[in-house]
Amino acid sequence: VDERTDQLTRLGGLAFTVAYAAFIGWLFARQPQTVAQITGGLAATIGAYRVDDQAFADGLRFFRADQFVEARMAFARADPAIRDANTQFYIAYSYYRQGWGRLYHDDALYAEGLSAIDRALILAPDGRLVVDDDNLQIRTGEELKAELEAGRRRDSSDFNPMRVFRERK
Amino acid sequence: VTIAVREAFVLPAAFLTVLLLGSVRIAQSTTLMPPSAFALVLGLLLVRIAVQSGTLAPDRLLAESRSALANVNGAVVLLALWLAAAQTLAVLIPESGLPRIVFGVFLLILLINTAAAAPDRIRLLRSLAVTFGTLFLLKFVVLRELSAPGTSGLKRVLQTLLEGLTLGALLQPVSHAAASYLALLTLVLFLVALFLLPARTIERTGVLVKQRIDTSLERR
Repeated sequence: VDERTDQLTRLGGLAFTVAYAAFIGWLFARQPQTVAQITGGLAATIGAYRVDDQAFADGLRFFRADQFVEARMAFARADPAIRDANTQFYIAYSYYRQGWGRLYHDDALYAEGLSAIDRALILAPDGRLVVDDDNLQIRTGEELKAELEAGRRRDSSDFNPMRVFRERK
Repeated sequence: VTIAVREAFVLPAAFLTVLLLGSVRIAQSTTLMPPSAFALVLGLLLVRIAVQSGTLAPDRLLAESRSALANVNGAVVLLALWLAAAQTLAVLIPESGLPRIVFGVFLLILLINTAAAAPDRIRLLRSLAVTFGTLFLLKFVVLRELSAPGTSGLKRVLQTLLEGLTLGALLQPVSHAAASYLALLTLVLFLVALFLLPARTIERTGVLVKQRIDTSLERR
């Protein structure tokens, strides 16, 4: 009986150690910043992570009313672990819309937008991100990323006076 | 069963916790830093000294007489010990500048010197406790206090002078207050886990010597 208990203990210990080491490896790779990101990330690995629908709806309402700071706060509440591609897309879009200007774009906001869309593209299955929202002119991750990158680029088109007639997407 | 619990649960958990706690760097954002290549080399030296001093008897973790599963547990303990040793030493090395180089070189020389001195288990544990304690005070009290933003005019002046004299090579990025507590916890946990390792006892050494004598007599 002792021999059997010993073997079971050793086997249990090995399983525990492998799981603990895998958790530490995951932490090193993901670099979570909050407890919510840790728990959300772990839940996402077993497919149990869910976005808070009410908070997402609030965020969408603020976003459509051009209240971008409020929208991002609500989206952050909806996706505290930063695991949902769709929510991250809207966060990136909010930075784009807030930073957009007829004469110039806000580089700092566009940079935040780029970080958000990069996160969204990483989270999207196979890197393909298409948002089904008729209110948006940009509906794919690639288009939004290109738009944000173009806004941060310095080239001759920046001096084109016709740019004042451009419309925000 | 007690030995199995220690080898399969307690020691791996303790060493992996040291690896995790030692990797936390709290500044403006929290990052987890795995041990550098240099720290891994230092960690290997520390494991070697632990074996040499009898703090760790590797034949009590890996041996032909043990079952395959027990040997796997033993190998896991050895691997975890190496990583934890590397991470513990990494915790004691400052983040940047001249202190990083000086502390790194000092630790390398100290470990080589300890290996040459060949201390026994008790002396090694005492020596490590003193070394870790001193380096902890230097990094988390002296250097941290020197690098912390000045609250008084005099401190700011002295800090500016020091920065000018050392061309900015001495001062460190200011860490969060919690970083010191985490580092202390890491060091204490590592020393406790080191103490719990299966050691080479006099009785055990006697058995090994007897086995060696018996084998050589049989050969004759």
